[in-house]
Amino acid sequence: MLKRTLLAAALAALPSPAIAQDAAPNMTAEQRLDELDKRITRLEDMNQVEKLQRIYGYFVDKGQWTQLSELFADDATLEIGGKGIFLGKKRVLEYMHTAFGPDGAKEGLLVNHMQFQPIVDISPDGKTAWVRSRAFVMSIGGWGLPLYEDEFTKQDGVWKFSRESGPFTMYTSWKGWGHDALNNTWPDKFDPPPDLPPTTVYLTYPAYYIVPFHYPNPVTGKPFKVEPVGAYQAPPGTKEQEESRKVGQLANGTQPIAEPPKD
Amino acid sequence: MSARMSLALAMLLGLSSTPALAQDNAKLEARIAAYRHRVELLEDQNAIENLQATYGYYFDKGLWDQAADLFTKDGSFEYGQRGVYIGTDHIRRAMLLFGPQGLAAGHLNNHMQLQAVITIADDGLSAKARWQGMIMLARPGGNGIWGVGIYENQYLKQNGVWKISRLHFYVTAKTDYDLGWLKSAIPMEGESALFPPDAPPTEVYRAYPGAYIPPYDYKNPVTGKSLADIPEPPDSVVGRK
Repeated sequence: MLKRTLLAAALAALPSPAIAQDAAPNMTAEQRLDELDKRITRLEDMNQVEKLQRIYGYFVDKGQWTQLSELFADDATLEIGGKGIFLGKKRVLEYMHTAFGPDGAKEGLLVNHMQFQPIVDISPDGKTAWVRSRAFVMSIGGWGLPLYEDEFTKQDGVWKFSRESGPFTMYTSWKGWGHDALNNTWPDKFDPPPDLPPTTVYLTYPAYYIVPFHYPNPVTGKPFKVEPVGAYQAPPGTKEQEESRKVGQLANGTQPIAEPPKD
Repeated sequence: MSARMSLALAMLLGLSSTPALAQDNAKLEARIAAYRHRVELLEDQNAIENLQATYGYYFDKGLWDQAADLFTKDGSFEYGQRGVYIGTDHIRRAMLLFGPQGLAAGHLNNHMQLQAVITIADDGLSAKARWQGMIMLARPGGNGIWGVGIYENQYLKQNGVWKISRLHFYVTAKTDYDLGWLKSAIPMEGESALFPPDAPPTEVYRAYPGAYIPPYDYKNPVTGKSLADIPEPPDSVVGRK
């Protein structure tokens, strides 16, 4: 959390492009071109990172786990839903193959993870990037909404995932979120077990969890901390963590939604 | 970038034309040219994103005349298994197979243009892009329909204007709004007898429950390796093993 706040502060301290342009009237032409190069590179980097997140989605859609794992840096981490953290590119691939089966699209399967609404930021040194975005899941099982706060690293000129963090907002059957919702996942829900426990424990819809923002408010420029971060949200190892596995959960893993209040 | 913009850039940078500085200026000019090219590629990407989004907004509302105008003169249009229509006149007529010019009452024809992966050729004159195409359909007397597919399109820049040179929409799944995928899989339309296409479908495939991977136009962005050899899943109906 502290790390995230510091990153947000670093982003807030970035000079806006307009300021950079007017900063030093006595700069040489070379220096001005250096500044221009930085700004163009930043735009190119933003596009490339956005593309990477979208390409990740297209690989998920068709079960291309080997290609997907290649998008990760060797020491990248992955945390999806409440499953816990997987360390390193090899474990990312193991997670996908064990949990979702071998590479390839399969007859009768639809698992579209459409990648929408990205907010991309690049670090001042141009070596790290962050994306907040969402997946809109349209699958044979129903609808789903993961949210991403991902981190990327530029190694030898190539952007890669260094951290994928995809907490769930809502999963429901085809009957819809007015009818039922699926509980969040947890470390031993399915194989393989994670390398580390979840960074935070939370329930998905009808409870909620506000994923911390990597960026400051774009208008005020102030970093902010959301309080409270959600209903049924607690650090790992707490009593709430144990209880969260069971709250509202039926034997089939679903979490029925209460009837709406009647007039 | 226009001549006016590059002149403005030269003024901004305080470039001099004094002979003593000619060599320095040549170096600076080379850098400006390189950066101008990179900015142009960024502008191209935005232009293509707007072009495809515009196609979607036109198509949603049955504005076939306007949609057809977005294509190059010899551009092609291919939707699912309907076959390939070539040239703006044929494209306009092919779109009439979806309904009259101007969406009829009680119809919904939303074709969302999402998740762009745009790759522009180094010369900035052609481009390819993959898009996620979510669909919401309705017609009087019928239930709502959810659908989804993939666009793999090509574009050309002609006289400074980006146009669609090849639109290929791979419908991959359609279902009844209430029933959902486990109970309803709506097959694709085939070639029209009323206005047959200029060429048969470039790829024969089945939508859901069949599985098919529309070929990727781009390489893996990290390994740089082609994705052309990703195997297609078997399909007993199409006869693919």
